[in-house]
Amino acid sequence: MNTNRVSAIIDNVNCYGDLHDLTAHRPLAMLPFDCKYRLLDFQLSNVINANIQALFLLMNQDDMQSVFDHINGGKEWGLDSLRKKFIMHFNKKNQEGESEQDFVSHVVDYLRKSGSEITVITGSKMLCNIDLKAIIKIHKQNNRSMTVVYKRVTSENISCDNLLIDLESDGNISSNNCKEELEPTEKYNLCMDIFIVRTEWIIEVLENCDKKVESIIKILREKINNISCMNYEYTGYLSNIYDIPSYYRANMDMLQPSKFNSLLYSNQKIYTKLANEVPTYYAENSVANNSHFASGSIVDGTVVDSLISRRCKISEAAVIEQSIIMASANIGKNAYIKNAILDKNVIVDEGVRIIGADTNPVIIKKDSHVTNDIVNRRNV
Amino acid sequence: MSMKVLSLYKGFMEGGKVIYSPNIMMKIEMLAMILAGGQGTRLGALTKHIAKPAVPFGGRYRIIDFTLSNCTNSGINEVGVVTQYQPLALNSHLGNGSSWGFDGIDSGLTILQPFSSSDGEKWFQGTAHAIYQNIAYIDQVNPEYILVLSGDHIYKMNYEEMLDFHKEKNASLTVAVIEVPINEASRFGIMNTDESSRIIEFEEKPEEPKNNLASMGIYIFNWQRLRTVLINSYSKDGQMIDFGKHVIPSYLDSGENVYAYRFDGYWKDVGTIDSLWEANMEFINIENDLDMRNHNWRIYSKNTISPPHFFTETAVIKNSLIVDGCYIAGEIKDSILSTDVRVKEGSKIEKSVIMPGATIGKNVFIKNAIIGENAVIGDNATVYSEEEISVVGYSEVIGVISNEY
Repeated sequence: MNTNRVSAIIDNVNCYGDLHDLTAHRPLAMLPFDCKYRLLDFQLSNVINANIQALFLLMNQDDMQSVFDHINGGKEWGLDSLRKKFIMHFNKKNQEGESEQDFVSHVVDYLRKSGSEITVITGSKMLCNIDLKAIIKIHKQNNRSMTVVYKRVTSENISCDNLLIDLESDGNISSNNCKEELEPTEKYNLCMDIFIVRTEWIIEVLENCDKKVESIIKILREKINNISCMNYEYTGYLSNIYDIPSYYRANMDMLQPSKFNSLLYSNQKIYTKLANEVPTYYAENSVANNSHFASGSIVDGTVVDSLISRRCKISEAAVIEQSIIMASANIGKNAYIKNAILDKNVIVDEGVRIIGADTNPVIIKKDSHVTNDIVNRRNV
Repeated sequence: MSMKVLSLYKGFMEGGKVIYSPNIMMKIEMLAMILAGGQGTRLGALTKHIAKPAVPFGGRYRIIDFTLSNCTNSGINEVGVVTQYQPLALNSHLGNGSSWGFDGIDSGLTILQPFSSSDGEKWFQGTAHAIYQNIAYIDQVNPEYILVLSGDHIYKMNYEEMLDFHKEKNASLTVAVIEVPINEASRFGIMNTDESSRIIEFEEKPEEPKNNLASMGIYIFNWQRLRTVLINSYSKDGQMIDFGKHVIPSYLDSGENVYAYRFDGYWKDVGTIDSLWEANMEFINIENDLDMRNHNWRIYSKNTISPPHFFTETAVIKNSLIVDGCYIAGEIKDSILSTDVRVKEGSKIEKSVIMPGATIGKNVFIKNAIIGENAVIGDNATVYSEEEISVVGYSEVIGVISNEY
């Protein structure tokens, strides 16, 4: 065993939230974010930035296509290097969400071969830019089996499938998870589903667990109450993405420079797939205020408080406000789009209005062609 | 012993010069040699610390990306890049060539720098001399044809079509030519051709040009023939320094089949401040002849790993190109902002090219200018001259009061 070696597991990429049409064709982790990223880029980059030598990416068999499209050989994240061991595992699940195959033994096999002393296990729904190296260092200095990473958040950042933790006076932690009793003004310790463990310990745990378990994170969450854990409070930017409003909010957060800087201009870079797109062109009559743009677009119209992805065309006199426009959209002349999320390859005809509510944006499905007005001002 | 091996042995002995080539690879059809060692003195401050082909262009590119991407798109798998002058930035941009797909099993990008040997030092004295000094590399790749390119032009060209033309004409040398305005022809090497496009006369910068077909500095040679010509020359008096001045006239004198291949797309030499600025200004227009938005002939570049660009509420943007990593709070008109450029509130930029990483302070006025990589323009500064294109060099600091540091 090499004491400097760390291996990582990104668990349960197949985890679906309540995102309706946006996650009909892709796992939640593959959702586009801030014009050019996918949510998974953040966890991958966190792992790569910690110089972790081995990575096990666990996902659902049905999601292979979109994950492979994006990651391919892992070149953009340096996962194709001789020094990195990169395994993608595709798990098959039955209708009850139980694993049909014994993926746990594959994980155990991987961990044994990795020769690592420490293993990092992370989920893929929490958007953050975290310095795992620092946490690994603290974990090593303490003689506990597991370190649990949490952040103090308000109730809007918590969904019913999250785990909250209590810090006890002796430094120990315990878990509780009950969404209904939350006070809107109070702050809670949200478990970020990032765990640092001793590799030997996790191998032992996995060997003795129920082989039909759906995720490793579920096993580790259950362990919090039974063993003595270290806790680590993360203070950087975090967004917990579990439904449309939280996804919309996280994207809109990027228009606030302090949050944008905290997530994307920290000393750890976020890597994503290279697109080799041309620069974005802004025409004589274009207006772009408080907005983000990726490359490859042509902007003739007006864009305010919005995020525009790659290869979009915003025609003359079209107006886009408080919206997320994903890649390759074509917005016709005089169209008006407010509080909406347009999935990839959407075409909006001339003069069409798409209007949603402040906290409940209208969702336009991938590849759709919008020819008539869609107006829904109802908030949730 | 096969013919191929025989001819190689012959090659080894020619002119009494023995060239040791380890690991002769499987024969490939055409090798591209990009001559990227020129100093580019006419670009002044912009090429003080980096080679001309590494000068940024069009927001997210460097000049050499156009030539390299043409190779990728033309199906060329092996590229040698000859470097000499200030190669650091160029070398780090090129890496192993993976940005252009040259990192595969049967492809490669090799940086060829001058080196010393038991024959003495091998500084490259001219375009043809640079090829001569790298015979060992070319023999190792063992191509049928070599394509000689320069790394300092902005254009899209299919070299495969030029090779087809070369083979069809049974040429020994094919020179790519482009029609230039006749009143400018005396600045170029002019080819006089017969009806079948065969070159019968070559005039370097003629005072009274007979036509307007200018050499683009792009050549396809039958490698074994060129190799013999170069070795013969250097074993005697060594006059073959430059392709235009020496090799082409010598080919014509000895009655070789030399053909002109006409190119009629967009082509821009960016060797001067004025032409570099002009080419950038032309690049802004989306209807530009370069057809940049055509995905069938993409121009590739190195991944810069920057977040999307951000306009604040005070930003104003007209007829401009913006790329990843920019932060814009000022007013941008008819300009190109490259990767990671910051423009603070109250600043106004018109008809200018801002190269990667430059920071523009508050209330700055920049017009008709090229701002070099990582330059810092302090608050309230003005960069504008009525007579000429203003240039701020790489990492230069302008108008910043020293106690700010």
